[in-house]
Amino acid sequence: MTDAKSLPGPLAGLRVLELADEKGQFCGKLMGDLGADVIKIEPPGGERCRHLGPFLDDVPDPERSLSFWYYNTSKRAITLDLATADGRGLFSRMAATADLVLETFRPGYLASLGLGHDAMARENPRLITCSLTPFGQTGPWRDYLSSDLLHMAAGGEMASCGYDEADVPDAPPIAPGGGNAWHMGCHYAMMAIMAALLHRTVSGQGQYIDVSIHEACSLTTESAIANYVYRGEVLKRQTGRHHAAGATPRTQFRAKDGNYVCALLGGRLNPRFIKQLADLLDSYGMAGDLKDPKYQDQAVITENTSHIVDDLVAGFIGSVSAEEAYHAAQERGFTWGAVRAPESLLDDPHLHDRGFWKQVEHKELGRSFVYPGEAAIYSDSPWRIASRAPLVGEHNVEILCGELGLSLTELSVLAENRVI
Amino acid sequence: MTGARALENIRVVDFSWVRAGPWATRWLGALGAEIIKIEWPESERGRLPSTTTPQHLETNLNTSGNFNDTNVNKKSLSLNVRSAKGLEIVKRLIAISDVVIENFSSRVLRNWGLGYEELCRIKPDIVYVSMSGYGHTGRNHHYTTFGPVAQAVAGLTFLSGLPDQPPAGWGWSYMDDTGGMYGAMCALTGLYHRNMTGRGQHIDLSQMVASVPLNGPALLDVTVNGRGSRRAGFPPGNRAHWPGTPLVNNYRGPTVAPHNAYRTHPGGYNDWCVVVCQSDEEWQRLVQVMGAPSWAAAEKFTSVTGRLQHQEELDAHIETWTATIDKYALTARCQAAGVRALPVQSAEDRVEHDPQLQHREMYLPMEHPALGVHQVQNAPFRLSRTPAANSRPSPLIGQHTREIVEDLLGYSHEELRAGFTDGTFWPTKRARFPYMEEMLR
Repeated sequence: MTDAKSLPGPLAGLRVLELADEKGQFCGKLMGDLGADVIKIEPPGGERCRHLGPFLDDVPDPERSLSFWYYNTSKRAITLDLATADGRGLFSRMAATADLVLETFRPGYLASLGLGHDAMARENPRLITCSLTPFGQTGPWRDYLSSDLLHMAAGGEMASCGYDEADVPDAPPIAPGGGNAWHMGCHYAMMAIMAALLHRTVSGQGQYIDVSIHEACSLTTESAIANYVYRGEVLKRQTGRHHAAGATPRTQFRAKDGNYVCALLGGRLNPRFIKQLADLLDSYGMAGDLKDPKYQDQAVITENTSHIVDDLVAGFIGSVSAEEAYHAAQERGFTWGAVRAPESLLDDPHLHDRGFWKQVEHKELGRSFVYPGEAAIYSDSPWRIASRAPLVGEHNVEILCGELGLSLTELSVLAENRVI
Repeated sequence: MTGARALENIRVVDFSWVRAGPWATRWLGALGAEIIKIEWPESERGRLPSTTTPQHLETNLNTSGNFNDTNVNKKSLSLNVRSAKGLEIVKRLIAISDVVIENFSSRVLRNWGLGYEELCRIKPDIVYVSMSGYGHTGRNHHYTTFGPVAQAVAGLTFLSGLPDQPPAGWGWSYMDDTGGMYGAMCALTGLYHRNMTGRGQHIDLSQMVASVPLNGPALLDVTVNGRGSRRAGFPPGNRAHWPGTPLVNNYRGPTVAPHNAYRTHPGGYNDWCVVVCQSDEEWQRLVQVMGAPSWAAAEKFTSVTGRLQHQEELDAHIETWTATIDKYALTARCQAAGVRALPVQSAEDRVEHDPQLQHREMYLPMEHPALGVHQVQNAPFRLSRTPAANSRPSPLIGQHTREIVEDLLGYSHEELRAGFTDGTFWPTKRARFPYMEEMLR
């Protein structure tokens, strides 16, 4: 097999113009890491997201935002004020040869500048424009303000996440880790964009895509909608495990080192499973009475669920580290896992085997940092980080002069007038 | 070309089961690809066990509501791929298809004699997407996942919860939904690359590995600043920062207060509303919406650092106000004044009470032969030229066996009947559904 690492990514040759803030920058990153030439167009001085922490060494600076770094790998960047006539003119010239415009402005804003899809597509019928906005381009909530937390509430994520009453009495619904509303919107946007690109390979025609983050989030609660639509059920929140109409056995157990283990048991407590469980526990001398043949009777198992779960499984996990329980169980075919903090992942040998962690050079700092890599290994067109996030206006000369043919003195005049 | 489908003429051989793989192919189907789901009732996972069969129906292979929503836009071929004849038939199908997708453990397809090398021999430019728990390479490739395990091992579970409590995690298989997104993205990018270069490939997706980048900037805080997530005040519940702990960004956007969920009237299980003020200006707007109460005029609440420092008191005051108002009325009043607020919505809320989802036709009725008419979830995007659409309900198991075997693959009707007799298309000792008898006439 050829060395796939030296091949271009699957989206090589595509030119993307990204006009995106926190809502869409991850979609641009996905496309850039997959090989597209993504040009991030920021307002003069840089995009608002550059002011979001945490910062390198906790020193706030638009070039030191780790959040910006994270979501803007594999892009080039120019500055351009689209509210100026010169800015609009330069954008139009770029859009005339681009494959995709990805934008997250409030609905109607680009069109109000004369830069909407219809105007751009007259010059470039192959152009695809994707508008990724909180609620889409239409509807009563179209102009509502949002945030990551707001989307987790309205999208249904929070209604499904939280605690058993016994664990944390009177707990609120809980929003999972920050940024995931944007991830959900970007995943669906990416899918729609790829469909449009594929269609274009056959038809030669571009199109306009209207993506709603609220709808993307509303689609991301697994069976919650089906439970309501088919059975009228509204599900309850449970600690560290699936929402459910009624109580289910716990799945999260504290290990000896204070970390937790996710040990799936619900729906599995049958004679065959109990036999395997007894073997696992017995290999640590923790089987208790579980090897007793009486447990080969389903009725006895059901009657003793609390003893099996709360005494034996909890006792076993409490006697070893979370990592030990995880690997011992998986090696015996149990679908269990350690609940790890992100910092623990850096030591995971499996991720190292897959070459997951990448060194990304920050030349201007004279340093390299470790970044997470690709979700999937492509045999013929690798998914990989091409470069660190761009500095503010880093590619102004390269793109505006090198590609659009402006002279350096013209560029200077644009800078004096705050166009770039 | 209006009315065309984006993935017209793309055929997908879909071995996937449970949720993540089927959620991927559901969308490829909505975009116009022909999805042929290969199933076998003796080793089926996705239709059964079912917790979403309507109360008035018998639970069987064709009555899971969640299966229906997860498998619209597909055809079903029941086939014993682990028989020589079944393998031969599926190879004939692969030879005229564009994508093979599966979410088995890492060695299953190879053990069936359908490893990537063999797939290439059958169809040289095939796009093969494997969606296993840990991927096909790496020392733990044989480990297995369901969503919650991938989420736990990859860090996502830990990032959700209240400080000094066990992780709250995710109340569902986020990485089945999202694993499906990545499966679809892999298939689409692989097809794009094929259309541009003429070459297929194997795309080795891992549910656990795909989870890791979704931890977001928390990862760089570790690798760049050496700041781990096992720290005081983290995870900060629904707040951007937990009062009384070191002031630091917790990856929820700007570090501001108010930033929380508040109880609303009449105090039911899902009567909550979230409110966030991202600037002093937004805070002053909220003060006006609240009727400019005297407590809000206090010096300590006029600055963002003051509001962060006195967040417990701030949140208590705000909740005293929110608790008197319905969550939708509260949302409308806040948003009319330019304040960020939205209700916590259950599934019932989204289907019945969300005016935006209603306007956007998120849930449209579709008839299923065994389940009747129910609302099915639609795409969250509008493609102007090639709209995504749910074109058919989920298939009954084996519903399209005759159509695929005879019309598409060119076997005779006698061969179809023989295949039912010898256990290729249905287990010989298992009762057939009436529609199977119909197809054998």
